[in-house]
Amino acid sequence: MSTDYAYDEEGHLWPFFVFTLTLIITLPLTYLLINRSRDPAAQFKRVQTSYKHDHAQIVDSLRKQEKRKDRKIWLVGLVVAGWAILAYMLYLINTTEAPDNKLWNPYDILNIPDSASEKLIKSTYRKLSLKFHPDKIKIDPAKNETLEDLNNRYVEISKAYQALTDEDVRNNFIQYGNPDGKQGYSINIGLPKIIVSDGNGKYVVLIYSMLFGVLLPYLVGSWWYGTLRRSKEGVLMESANRLFRAYKDNIDEGGVIAALSSGKEFEALFKGDKADAGLSKIESRILAEGEGSPLAGGLSVKDKSRLEDSESGPQRKALALLWAYLGRVELDDPVLNKAKFEVAPVAHALNKAFTQISLAYMNTAPLLSSYYTSQLLIQALPPKSSPLLQLPYFTPKIVKAVEGDSRVHTSVQGFMDRPDSKRRSLAVGKGLLTEEQYQEAVSVAKQLPYLRVAKAYFKVTGERFIIPSSLVTLVVKGRFVPPGSEKVPEVNETDLEDIDPAEDDLDAILGRKTPKQIGKDENGKPIMSAAETEPIFPPLAAAPYLARDHSPRWNVFLTDSKQGRVAVPPFTFVQFDQPIFEADGKTPTFAMQTVKAQFQAPPQAGHYTFVMHVVCDSYVGFDTKMEVTLIVEEASKAARMAVEEEISEPEEGWSSIMCYFF
Amino acid sequence: MFDIDWRGLLVPFAYVLVLGGTFMTFSTIYRKRKAMESANLAPWFPPHLQRNVYLSLLHLEPEHGSEKSPKVPDSIIRAALLRRAVEDIHRIIQVRTAKAACSSLLQRGSVGDDLWQRFQRAEKEMEEELRDVVMEANALVPNWGQTIFQSANEIAANTSLRERVNEIRAQTEAEKEWWEKQRTSIQEGFMKELEQESQSKTAGSEDDTVLIDTAAAAKKKAKAKAKK
Repeated sequence: MSTDYAYDEEGHLWPFFVFTLTLIITLPLTYLLINRSRDPAAQFKRVQTSYKHDHAQIVDSLRKQEKRKDRKIWLVGLVVAGWAILAYMLYLINTTEAPDNKLWNPYDILNIPDSASEKLIKSTYRKLSLKFHPDKIKIDPAKNETLEDLNNRYVEISKAYQALTDEDVRNNFIQYGNPDGKQGYSINIGLPKIIVSDGNGKYVVLIYSMLFGVLLPYLVGSWWYGTLRRSKEGVLMESANRLFRAYKDNIDEGGVIAALSSGKEFEALFKGDKADAGLSKIESRILAEGEGSPLAGGLSVKDKSRLEDSESGPQRKALALLWAYLGRVELDDPVLNKAKFEVAPVAHALNKAFTQISLAYMNTAPLLSSYYTSQLLIQALPPKSSPLLQLPYFTPKIVKAVEGDSRVHTSVQGFMDRPDSKRRSLAVGKGLLTEEQYQEAVSVAKQLPYLRVAKAYFKVTGERFIIPSSLVTLVVKGRFVPPGSEKVPEVNETDLEDIDPAEDDLDAILGRKTPKQIGKDENGKPIMSAAETEPIFPPLAAAPYLARDHSPRWNVFLTDSKQGRVAVPPFTFVQFDQPIFEADGKTPTFAMQTVKAQFQAPPQAGHYTFVMHVVCDSYVGFDTKMEVTLIVEEASKAARMAVEEEISEPEEGWSSIMCYFF
Repeated sequence: MFDIDWRGLLVPFAYVLVLGGTFMTFSTIYRKRKAMESANLAPWFPPHLQRNVYLSLLHLEPEHGSEKSPKVPDSIIRAALLRRAVEDIHRIIQVRTAKAACSSLLQRGSVGDDLWQRFQRAEKEMEEELRDVVMEANALVPNWGQTIFQSANEIAANTSLRERVNEIRAQTEAEKEWWEKQRTSIQEGFMKELEQESQSKTAGSEDDTVLIDTAAAAKKKAKAKAKK
């Protein structure tokens, strides 16, 4: 009996082991790779346009470059290696012969059928023993036999005979499968013999210590320091620190742009002599006289002095390029033009960190500046410029023709609300837009998702009154009405209500979605509505100048206008519950959208007047600002009023709150 | 009694030594680097110009040739200290407003740890600075320390208000220019309209006469026909 561990000498076990292990690693990685190489932007709708500006190629190539960067070569390598190992292991498993652990069968040895009678067994044994008895048989040199072989064969034959005739031996055979009784068993370890064979031990130890002493600490360390290096918003920590220092209570959009240029990301972008290359050219271009603004870059006097005060180097170059980008200034140099489009997405990412910082201060003005800067960066517009420049083919010259001498800029909605003939007469003409260009601009304008708020009110789920410190829901009802939409249907009053789910409807209260029963078919089977509507995403921002795909988001927040402070921090919405456009992606549905935000009511009763801001981060001039009043009743008074109301007017369901549009 | 195999023991001792040595070097290097980092943290505020002015006024070097340092009038020293207090007010406001924001951002992981360290250092420095200013004020005028920051606060508020007013005033010229332009263009528009109106009037009267003429002619013709 031997219980020694044996290693896998024939190599028929370890391929299974390696195969399983590799499969466990490779399958998730493959899934990851496939999932990643699918373009995440592809599932979003786009604003349909054929407009291409002069540098659309650069922007497209930058977008592609970004997607490629996402793909990660090492992942591809790992997956390929994993599958190669799997294939090799399969090959090994198929080709290596498993050792034959044939069951010892006395009938086979005697070469008789299993049903042989005792007589036949005896006679066969006698015949065989006569034939193979070592004393009788002669060694045949031709067959390369030794005396031992002959002995063994004879022993086998007699063993087989005994197994079939002797009671004890037969029992042994039945119990253990062997006439000699219990056999020793062996445990094989699924490792190749090479690992343990002499002389290889040091290499194994070396590999082992490399894995656990070097690779593991390296991976853990790089992960840890990687998380320390970047802030929660995904920008470098140093950039976030600088942005925090650049924050000011009265910062305007130009100030935010100057602050963003201090990001450390730009230092990596403009390394070494790149930091000053072409700087004077950019500056002369953006500070030249512009068509629609005093300076071509759209800088104000303050912004100009900020640029001139900033230290020469990456920051100054980034700032100059940002202004060139915002002012859509032609730089006449492929390298500089490319850099111009490169800085904007970086600044946009940094702006997210700045939004968080301004939110921490809870001041309205910097938060709004940050959101407006996001709009400007996405649309490539300088601050205080006309929102009409968001439309394709619109240049400062055309904007001037449309706006005339007015100091107040015409919004896209304002422009599109005019009758077609009026718009056409202003924008189409010699030196202005051609007829096709005008059509294109109008068609794009009619696809922009402008959220027109119909009503906003507060409520507490399941209650009639809002009592102090209760959990209030701000319900905002609005429809996407693209500028220039014709035949906009009237708002359906019933759409504006927000009915609480019944108290026994647990699914609805917990936000679970179940298919609803619509009716019954002729056989009495209930018809269920199609699986609940998927979240609807608005089309990607129509931003021909931004070298990224951006899904627009709406921020809803309440401010205290007297103190200039944020009362309820922003809730961000990227998806909606109702379709925005029909299947063709162009015709608006005008479906009523509901967005809800929950917050804690003030601890004292009273009338609280807030200014509600609905700010879209992607389009200029699509914001809504309206006054809403939160009426908080004393708990005792609310209870009394509820009783009174039940007697007089039982159908009034929720406390309505007046909204005054600005 | 015991036969110690010293050579055999060498290996474990060496192992412990190497291990301990590695940890020691690692920790000393790490700590040194940390200390270096915190020592080299950039200051939160730029150099304090007003304080430097005040201190240099207080410790004026004797001029070349003369032994005594020049006497600075008390009023100037007091003014310099007040200016220093005003700058301190600006800084203390900045520190106070930034503190809550900085700590909440740090907790969320939106800003780095070193920013918080810098901030705390700045806070401490400001405390020291305030104490110093109060002491200096008391030394210059008895009991001035209690009121110097009140007046400094007033000055700071006034300056910021004046700055905003000046900013708004600076726009007057451009506004005026734009308005003049607007007025002339509106005037021109009106003049044109008037001209057009008068032109259309004369044109209209001509038309009328023509109409009358034809009507008269028609009447004449009708009369002629009737006569026939």
